[in-house]
Order: sequence, then C-alpha cells, then structure tokens
Amino acid sequence: MVIGAGLNGLVAAAYLARAGLDVLVLDRASAPGGIAMPHEIAPGFLLPRYMLGSGGLPPRIAADLDLARHGLRFIRAEGSVTCFPDGAYVASYRDGVIHRRELARHSRRDADAWTRYRRDMLRAARGLAPLLSRAASAPSGGILARLRARLALADRLAEAPPAELASMLGLWTLPLSDYLDDYFEAPAIKAHLAAAALMGGTLGPSSPMSASRLIWPWLSEAGDATGGAPDTLMPQGGSVALLHALTAAVQASGGKIRLDAEVTDVLIKDRKVRGVELANGETIGAGVVLSGLDVKRSFLSLFRWKDLPQGLVERVGRVRMKGVAAKVNIALDAMPEFPGLPEGCPSLGGGLRLAGTIPAMDRAFTDWRERMPPRDPVIDVLIPSIADPSLAPAGKHVLSAVVQFVPGELHDGAWTGERRDALRDLVTARLAEVSPGIETRMLACEVLLPGDIENEMGLTGGDFAYGETTLDQFFVNRPFPGQGGASTPLRNFYLCSPSAHPGPFVMGAPGANAAAEVLAARKGRA
Amino acid sequence: MTPDSFPRPEEQQSETLHEEAVPVNSVDPADERAEVDPSLFEEESGEPPFARAVRTTPLHLETAAESRTNLWTAWNGYTVPQIFTDLGDEYRALRGAAALMDLSPLVKYRISGRDALAYLERLCAVPVGSLEVDRLRHVIFCEGSGMVLGDGLLFRLAADDYRLVTEETHLAWLIDSAEGFRVRVEDVSATLAVLALQGPLSAFLLAELGCDDIETLDPFAARWISIGGMPVYASRSGATGDLGYELWCDAEDAPHVWRTLLGKGATFGLRPAGFALRELARLEAGHPRAGVDYLSAFAAIDPADALPPAAIWPGFTIAPSKGLFNGGSALRAMHGTEPARRLVRLAVGGLEPARFASVSLNGEPAGLATTTGFSPALGANIALAVLANGAVGAAGLSVLAERREGLSVVETRLPAQVLLGPAFSHRRRLAVPAGLRP
Repeated sequence: MVIGAGLNGLVAAAYLARAGLDVLVLDRASAPGGIAMPHEIAPGFLLPRYMLGSGGLPPRIAADLDLARHGLRFIRAEGSVTCFPDGAYVASYRDGVIHRRELARHSRRDADAWTRYRRDMLRAARGLAPLLSRAASAPSGGILARLRARLALADRLAEAPPAELASMLGLWTLPLSDYLDDYFEAPAIKAHLAAAALMGGTLGPSSPMSASRLIWPWLSEAGDATGGAPDTLMPQGGSVALLHALTAAVQASGGKIRLDAEVTDVLIKDRKVRGVELANGETIGAGVVLSGLDVKRSFLSLFRWKDLPQGLVERVGRVRMKGVAAKVNIALDAMPEFPGLPEGCPSLGGGLRLAGTIPAMDRAFTDWRERMPPRDPVIDVLIPSIADPSLAPAGKHVLSAVVQFVPGELHDGAWTGERRDALRDLVTARLAEVSPGIETRMLACEVLLPGDIENEMGLTGGDFAYGETTLDQFFVNRPFPGQGGASTPLRNFYLCSPSAHPGPFVMGAPGANAAAEVLAARKGRA
Repeated sequence: MTPDSFPRPEEQQSETLHEEAVPVNSVDPADERAEVDPSLFEEESGEPPFARAVRTTPLHLETAAESRTNLWTAWNGYTVPQIFTDLGDEYRALRGAAALMDLSPLVKYRISGRDALAYLERLCAVPVGSLEVDRLRHVIFCEGSGMVLGDGLLFRLAADDYRLVTEETHLAWLIDSAEGFRVRVEDVSATLAVLALQGPLSAFLLAELGCDDIETLDPFAARWISIGGMPVYASRSGATGDLGYELWCDAEDAPHVWRTLLGKGATFGLRPAGFALRELARLEAGHPRAGVDYLSAFAAIDPADALPPAAIWPGFTIAPSKGLFNGGSALRAMHGTEPARRLVRLAVGGLEPARFASVSLNGEPAGLATTTGFSPALGANIALAVLANGAVGAAGLSVLAERREGLSVVETRLPAQVLLGPAFSHRRRLAVPAGLRP
C-alpha cells in the first residue's frame, strides 16, 4: 500500500505492481500528482501548480517501468539562460563549440576553462551515480555485509591520488563561490552556474558545502570530451503526461489507485505496521505501507506518538525542513519578448533565470535567513509552452516561476495580503525588466508562498526538497541520521518520498529505491 | 588543478588581461603592458553564438569553389572540406607533386613580453631556450601532475615574441601559468590564416612564384616571403613526413595567396586537399592529434586517460639543461617507471581498407585504435593505438575488423604489429638544401 499518489509514490507502486505485489495507492486529492499535480490556471493553460515543471525521470526508471509504451516522451531542451539586471546574459548550449563561443563573449579564458570544469563535474557525477541508484545503507544484511560496504568505501578513498581526493573534498565542502573561482574569472559566468545550483536549496553561494549542488545537472550527462552544458529534460505534454504514463503503468500491472481517500492513521501492532485507517473510518489491512509524505508528516501525523519507538519523535522533529521558495504561475496571451536576448535563442526553452551577481545572491540568501520579505530574489522562469505548445491555447503561453529565497514566515509575523501583493509586483517588475510589456500580456497570475504549499499539500514548511539537502541530512543520514534509506525503525513501514535517499535531485529515484528495499526485504524473509 | 605555481584569479587578471589604460598614441610594441586594441583579436560579426554551428575559414569561398564533392567536416568549430575530389587523387598529388591544404582552424596564441622566454621555459616540458628567431620547434606542455595537456609548434618571431600553434584551446592554462611573469598571452586564431603546401614539388613551386633561395630555408626555420605580392611568413614544417611548407598570412590576404598558388601550381600537379588527406598524411607520418589520439589531462574524465609525455612521444626525455617547469617534479619522480598505457603505431594485415577499433592480445582486450586508415605507402592498414604497456612488445596482437557485404557483416580477426618507425618518412623532409627538382 502506498500513501500519496505523487511522482515517487506512483514510481514505487509501479515497481511493486510489476513485481507481482497487490498494490493500492491512496491519495486524499481527487487527482493524482501530489506537488506535480497539473493545474489549469485559466481555461486551456496547463502547468504544474507547485513545481517548476522541468526535469525528467532517469532513463533507467523510464525503461524499467516501460513508460514509453504508456505514451511518455521526453523533450531534451537546451540548457538555460541567466539574465542580469545590467542587460547582460549568459546562456548554456549542449553543443560544446557553441557553448564555448558563448562563454568567450564574457571571457576567452573562461571558455577554455570550461573543459576542466566539465571534466571535474563529470568525474564527480560518475562517482556519485552508483551511490544514488541503490539504498544508502544495506537494509538487511548482517554486520559483516555492512563492514564490507564501509571498507569498500574506505578503500576507494584511500586509493584516490591526493589531487583527486583534494578535488573531491573541495567539491563536497567548499562554498560554491570559492569553488567556481578556481575555474572561472567572469562574474557573469560564475553567477550563471551559481544561480542554477542554488535553486531549491537552503544554502547561499557563500555557504560551505554549496559547491556540491553543482553536480546534479551532470548526473544524466554522457561525457564526450568536447561537449557543452548538460541539457534540460522535460516530459512532452508536461507533468500531466508524466503522471498519466505512471498511472497507466501502475494500472497495467494490476495496481489500483484510490483517490479522495485520506489516510489519517497507520495501524500498528507489536511494532509492526498492519494497515491504515481512512478519514471516513474505514480500515484497510496491508502487509507493507509506503509513505510518499515527507518524513515529519509521515511519522508525526500518521501515528499515535506513543506507538513510536523511543526517541523517534525527537529525531524526526529535529530534521530541518524550511521553505525557501514561492511559486508564481502566469498565463500569457502572447509570447513575451526578450529584447536583451538574441532572436531565437534556443536556450530560452530550457528556462530563464533572473539573477544578480554572486554577492547579490548572497544578499538574497541573507534576507531569507533573517526572514525578511525578499528584496532581490533569484527567479527561475520556465515557459514550458515554448518546447511544448500543447500546454496552452495556440499562440498563447504559460509561465511557471520559482522565486528562490522566500521565507515561510517573516521575522515580524505572517505574510499579509499586502506583502503577498508586493511579492507579486516584485516578480512582475523583474520580469518586465527583461521582457518589457509582459505585464500587459498576463491573463492570470497567482502567487503561492511556502505557507500556502504547506497548507494545500501537507508538505512541511513548504520545502520542495523534503528536508534540507546538506551533507548531514544526506546519504546515510537521509531521512535522518542513523536511518539512511527507505526503511524505517517500524517494520513494514517505508518512506518513498524525497525525504529518503537520494532526495529531490533524481526524480523518481526515492520511489524506485523504496520499492527495491521492500522487494529485497521480502526476498530475505522468504 | 595543480600547476607548480597556483594562480589567484584576480592577480592574473591584472597581470595579463586588464592592463591600465595607456593612451593609444604612446604604444610601444616592446612593452607588454601597452594597450592593445582588443578588437584586433575579436572574431567579427555580432551574430549570436548559436546562429551557426560551424564558422567558415578565411579561405571558405576558395575551397567551396574548388570542392567537387561538397563533403565538409567540422574542425575546431570551423567547416573545412573533407575531400575535394577523391582521396586517392589527393594522396597521389601530395606524394607525387604537391598538395595545398587550409589549416586555418588551428589555434594560434601570441606570447610576448620581456619574460616570454622564461615563461615558455616554465610552461613547456622541452627546452626552448636555444630556439633562435625565425625558428620553430615541437613543444609539449604538461599539468602539474606530469600529464600532457597538449602539444604544438612554437615559433620565435622576435626576441620577445612567440607564436604557439596548437590543435585545441589552452588559453586558461596559458594565462594561469603566466602568474609572476611579465608576459602577454593572446588568442590570435581568427586573424591568421594557415595554408599548408606539402609534397616533393613544394619548394619548386615557391621558387617558381619568385621566392628566391627558398631551398636554403632549413627544416624548422621560417622567413618572410612574398606570394602574389602578399607578405607571407613561410615555415618549413608540416605533418606529412615529406618536404613541405606552412604559410602564415593575414586572413584578408589568404584567398589571394591560395589563388596565386593554385593558379601557378596546377600545371605542375598541385591539388587542393581536404581534411581526410591531412589525417591520412599525419597518420602515415606517425603524428598523434590532441583530442583524438590522446586526451588533454583537462578533458580526461577517466583519470587513466591522461598520459605522460613519454607514453605519447617515445623519444621524450627531460633534457639535462631543463630547470623548473610545469609538471617537472612529477615527471622526474616518474623517471624510470613505465607508463600504464602507450600510444603506438600499428600495422594491420589485410590488403584492403578495413574498419576496426579494439585491439586484443591473444584474444584479451589490450587497447583501442584511435586513428585508422589505409596507407598507400605501406600497402597496409595502419593505425595509432593506445595499448596497455604490456601489450606493446608482445606477439599476438590482433584487431577485429568489420566488413559489410550487402546487408550482412563479416568480422575478421586481422593480425597487427607495432611499427617502430612511421609508415612514411622521406629524407627530403630534412634535406638541406631542399630539392627543387624531385
């Protein structure tokens, strides 16, 4: 049984159903999707209500679940563009020659430094990939197996030449700004890479460990020696198509999805999970329960606290989940113009970021830490209807924006209506800087603050990352220290949300890992 | 990154990139801190980077007019002819008369300033101090770890003025290594066209065009000559294993030089030749190409793909006179140890052109053929291949060749052996004086 028909819940359900298990997915909403749920902001204008809308499942998951047969196609868009207040811009291109030419507009030296940056990113991504596609710690396995796993890691570290070890440590500990200084000199190029890496995280460009966020776009990148920037994956037809394919995959293997069914309690007996109770009082028995909710909501709201093992409530309570971003959804009656960008710039399809230089991002981060209303946030804009015209009526467009560094609560209290309007005006004004006249083309506009996301979706803090992704809450420490992976201290209860390893960076991977752990545990028992 | 001197970005900027403004009318060419108009080195056009996937060389209109096959290939972001007429015809012209090639996509750096020599001595793993003005030599440069970043030709144009010509871009490393030296490094690629005039008749053709005493130009020497009234810096160099010259001229002058050469030379058998012939000729002459036969240490995603110089150029040793240089301490520490992998020249059996990539030793994988081709000079398939060190001297090497017949594929295992010398190397290449009559 899976609680929550979000992306990861559906991925886990599809894996389990294919393995021959009797699967039931429950969701309190009347449509599947969770935070990826498609939303019609105005008639005919479709976009994900809470997420930005880019990103694709890893090819392994799409192939395992046979999603292509269920109609899923991915669009590979070019990288993205960052626009700066002074009118300058930096774009990313897949083609290595073109990408270097673009960097050379800012610094010829940096165009050449890209080779070394790309090498180090790909090296790191290749080292990381095997850690992400399996459980962070062996779920069963005796003490010997665990010891062997630790020794293997220690061996790998000890064998690395000192220079490589240093570069690995640098990547995992340094602030992003210091790390990029090692490669590039042009402030615009550094800000372009930094803005992309900071999105969705709780770290600023000068926060230690923020450099590690640079790796994520490279995970799905195949490495030839002369390539450009990694591309942006988008499901054709938007998140609707992705959810449709996943739902079809679950149902094709005999899994059932029940909507409008809110789980209020998980039934526990002898420290083993036995089933769930719904809001209408109905109880459903289950051998295994997977929760697609975040770690706090999973433990603190689905159980009676006295049923939980000693210390668990405190440990879960200490997991840091903070909202950092607001979502803005806009319907446009025409394609916005970007006079600062060259006509036909293909990178626009991969997204547009409105950012300042690294010091400006640092100030935005400080504002967030001090819980000030944002003054100069980083804004990540996607116009998914450029690459996929099916998302809006002919000639019209949808614009999806994530505003980074928006605190959930302000230092002097809650978000008022005025402040909400001020944020909308700020975003509109920033958009109008790069696209004059965009405000006259808006048919609809809505602002969702972290608090709104928590209230509507039940996502603690409105944190899209499902828990901060710093090293102390990652790998073997995700969802919480001492409990890496999808299994939990409660027998038969698993987490399949991004609160579990490997977090929000690889779409669908937490669901796939949870399903793998469930199947491994069943096999071990049989 | 571990160069012997680690640069700080802001310092190196002030050293080499953003000089204090000096009034333009007071430019002193000998002063490396003088203001140089950056637009001199800009690639024209306000067109956005994505407008064209490949750009055209200064000789594009000429080469397009000559091309009968309309076969093009991308090289360093430029489009150049792959084959003009027929690879066999072009090869016969190169070996029997002369061939003219457009090598303009090569990367060219100008390195100048009073510390230029000291800087280059520090940068390169080979000695450059003895290089006289109007001479050139092959140089190799390494990362701090001793792994090769690239190789190229270094010209000494004047006492404090050098030109480095490479296959790939290296500007970041050149600038990073310039920390502490009074030196300017500029990418002048777009301003310089390069024509390669190669083959036994090449000296004769230049003499016919009025270049007196061209036969007295030594190998690895260069001088200014005039072709069709245009000033051309001619160097006796080339990667074909034969007599040949490379002609360096202004991008605007290049079409005229090309037309003059072909107009005069056609009656003597001079033919334009494309990139395919350049590859075949350098393969016969045994020259590895950066990015193809070996990877720059900065592009080697698998650390094992980075190679030390001795693994690529078997004759490489650190000259006794060589002092401190980038990668020097690592290379000296490596002295006496065999590299794990080596680049070698292979001759492969089979009497007709074959396609192959993996190399095996007694059935076990032993390496990869990086460039392959059919050498008319040897009458055999040849290749450059990276092999595990243990496989280099061993008997029992073979490649798995693939041949298509209709819709079926025939796989044959062809025996291979390591060649000790290049497949083609003519004594004309180093003869002094150069032969005017072959």
